Amino acid sequence: MCFNSFFFLFFFMLINFFFFVYFIMNGLSVFFEWEIISFNSMSIVMSILLDWMSLLFMMFVSLISSVVIFYSKSYMNSELNLNRFIILVLMFVFSMVLLIISPNLISILLGWDGLGLISYCLVIYYQNLKSYNAGMLTALSNRIGDVMILMIICWVMNYGSWNYIFYFDFMKNDYVMFIISFMIIIAAMTKSAQIPFSSWLPAAMAAPTPVSALVHSSTLVTAGVYLLIRFNYLLIDMFFFKVLLFLSILTMFMSGISANYEFDLKKIIALSTLSQLGLMMSILSLGFPDIAFFHLLTHAMFKALLFMCAGVIIHMMNDIQDIRYMGGLSLYIPLTSLCLNISNLSLCGIPFLSGFYSKDLILEMVSFNSFNLMVFILFYLSTGLTVFYTFRLIMYVMINDFNLMMIYNLYDEDYIMLNSMFVLLFMSLLSGSFLSWFIFSYPYMIYLPFNLKLMVIYVSILGSILGFMVSNMGIYSLNKLLLSYNLSSFLCLMWFMPNLSTYGLSYIYLNFSQILFKNIDMGWSEIYSGKGIFNILKNYSVFYNIYQMNNFKIYLFSFILWFMILFIFFFI
Amino acid sequence: MNNNSNKMFFLFILFFSTLISISSNSWFGCWIGLEINLLSFIPLISNSKNLLSVETSLKYFLTQSLASINFLFMILIKFSLLKNFNMNNIISIMMNSSLLMKMGSAPFHFWFPNIVEGLSWMNNFMLMTWQKISPMILLSYYFNKNFLIFMIIMNLIIGSLGGLNQTSLRKLLAFSSINNLGWMIFSIMISENLWLFYFLIYSMMISMMISLFFLMNMYFMNQLFINNMNFFIKLNLLINFLSLGGLPPFMGFMPKWIIINFLLINKFYFLIFIFMMTSLIIIYYYIRIIYSSFMFNYFKMKWVNLLMKNNMSLINLSSFISISSMILSTFIFM
Repeated sequence: MCFNSFFFLFFFMLINFFFFVYFIMNGLSVFFEWEIISFNSMSIVMSILLDWMSLLFMMFVSLISSVVIFYSKSYMNSELNLNRFIILVLMFVFSMVLLIISPNLISILLGWDGLGLISYCLVIYYQNLKSYNAGMLTALSNRIGDVMILMIICWVMNYGSWNYIFYFDFMKNDYVMFIISFMIIIAAMTKSAQIPFSSWLPAAMAAPTPVSALVHSSTLVTAGVYLLIRFNYLLIDMFFFKVLLFLSILTMFMSGISANYEFDLKKIIALSTLSQLGLMMSILSLGFPDIAFFHLLTHAMFKALLFMCAGVIIHMMNDIQDIRYMGGLSLYIPLTSLCLNISNLSLCGIPFLSGFYSKDLILEMVSFNSFNLMVFILFYLSTGLTVFYTFRLIMYVMINDFNLMMIYNLYDEDYIMLNSMFVLLFMSLLSGSFLSWFIFSYPYMIYLPFNLKLMVIYVSILGSILGFMVSNMGIYSLNKLLLSYNLSSFLCLMWFMPNLSTYGLSYIYLNFSQILFKNIDMGWSEIYSGKGIFNILKNYSVFYNIYQMNNFKIYLFSFILWFMILFIFFFI
Repeated sequence: MNNNSNKMFFLFILFFSTLISISSNSWFGCWIGLEINLLSFIPLISNSKNLLSVETSLKYFLTQSLASINFLFMILIKFSLLKNFNMNNIISIMMNSSLLMKMGSAPFHFWFPNIVEGLSWMNNFMLMTWQKISPMILLSYYFNKNFLIFMIIMNLIIGSLGGLNQTSLRKLLAFSSINNLGWMIFSIMISENLWLFYFLIYSMMISMMISLFFLMNMYFMNQLFINNMNFFIKLNLLINFLSLGGLPPFMGFMPKWIIINFLLINKFYFLIFIFMMTSLIIIYYYIRIIYSSFMFNYFKMKWVNLLMKNNMSLINLSSFISISSMILSTFIFM
């Protein structure tokens, strides 16, 4: 099953690649439309839009998913129901493809809901309590986005069809479009885990690592960004984009800080994904959709690679995900640490790896166009924080002493996992330049003063030095975080925002429902409808029985009495 | 008098008497029919070897003859003395009261559970179905609307409340019969065709019930749980009781539905409320009888085995009729 799906997806990727090159070279786009039913002035059509953006994204999605399925043949080989897992992943890919190719809100809804549902099934795959809680958090946060899209479908019915791409140029200032833009931004924010809804992404790391590599690095969380890229013409100078800018910058900053306090390997990578998502959303809301798309694709490559390396390391460390137990791995697992290092450096934006092309372009566009000081500071600060936690991670995992056991065996020669990582390694080295040559037919004009141009390097070097200094841990080190416990916990636990969506929401309602249940369900409504009515009726029946068990003569006599009374009334 | 040929003779006269009563064009003829009804029913139920049935037949004779005397008296006053042919006056009340007593309807129903307790199942069947035909038809000739509505309400309430505290199956069916009398009297006020429909379906349901209990020789509620019933018997019991209570896919829902429809169209809101609530109480005590038969874990004792006898083969047919008659019963109007 693994091999079949791997080959199928790989060939699908190749087909998409060839079509992508053909379409972008000739500037083509194809629109298939099938009208299912036209009913009462609404026409339900099934449409497929193939232009270079959707083909490119499909190529990347199918590449990553084929590599992940191949990887999971070895990673999940102790799983009894591997076929079920592969089928879930394939359904996920199918929903994502449906989302990518659809210019029509109904098929977007199908893909969107499919993504949310299948990511729930995949997050709860290891059936323990933590996975269940994480899955519930994931599913319910995504559900808000689903509801928003459902409401958009209702509002778009004002226009006669659900093909939204036709209405952007004409209906820009309409009230309906105002409402729709509000809702689409909230939907994208829930899917891409921006600030009010960002608690599900670190929690969803309870999923198996191949799932995290596919879902939480490149496909599910970028669906929101992709949707906003499609809706970009609508939203471009609306008020909500400014709100989105604010929230996404804060997401970027907050998750960068929180990743510095984390000790769980997958959570650090999750928070770095969150930070890069914030980056994508913010550059999108500044008005550069193509750069956002570019960064989306390059980030997909190296983040999936990073997750896969993390999976190999977790297998090696006897399923321990805590980085304090790891150390010195670069000496023993050269190939895996090669992949880990390259993906980490690409994440930081080290020159001429793939991440450099997109990140550096973003930072230079931010510096070149005049935005306000907070935008500027938070962008550069978050870049520095990225380097900070990356170098901290590298120090803990690769360079410091090995902390796990006395006798150990670090097995690096699992070539199934390694070959799949090499594919992504190749792509994460080259995809930056390759995409920039394809997507940008002419480069952006950027003219910056010298120090501003070097600002990126200053922040990166500062971050790396700080990362080195923070991770110097020995047997006599004092955990200095405990000296400032309140501040540390505030910064570590994502500024206490998960409490909003978990404890804060559920506690009030659960408490209230307990009060209702005890007082009404098991209280008053028992007297007034349950046992109480039964008692009343039973007492009536017992009372009636007194009349029933009577002397027979009394019955006959009462009949005569009735007649005598009637006679008296008759003759009065 | 235990011979079947004697019983057939009296049964024949019983049927004829009802026909005399309903097809006569003089009130006197009606009264004659009622008297012959009474006289021919007494030998059917009395059995000189059993003291209880003698006492029962005596009680039956007393109540019914009292009612017939009153009926004759009121007829003579109304049509011969006063020559008053209006409905809805006091003499109509008195006529209706005596007919209600003959039927066993509230508030003159106190003899009914007593007598039902003393009869066997087949005699009960005659008492509950056939004996009600002629009083009902005579009721439809001159009724007092206000009086009858009050009586209907009393019927419903007494039929539901009285049955809650019973364990004898005969008394339960007696109270449900009183309740159904309420529905039937109201249907007389709507249309006589509707009464015929209701009565036919009611007698079919009661016949299925009573034949089942007769074959299993069950007279009390605890006997339902002692024996080890076959699945089809349980199913039949379930379906028939729910049908008697008036639950939708079964046969008994149809006449009640038509009556409720009439009530709603003509805005009898209070009356609908009472009809509905008392039906719910009745369904409660039906379900109390049969709940063990449709649970997966039911209470049974394994050393008494109820075999499916040869004469029980019609049980499947009766279940089928109960389920499908909602649709088949519409053919009655074609």
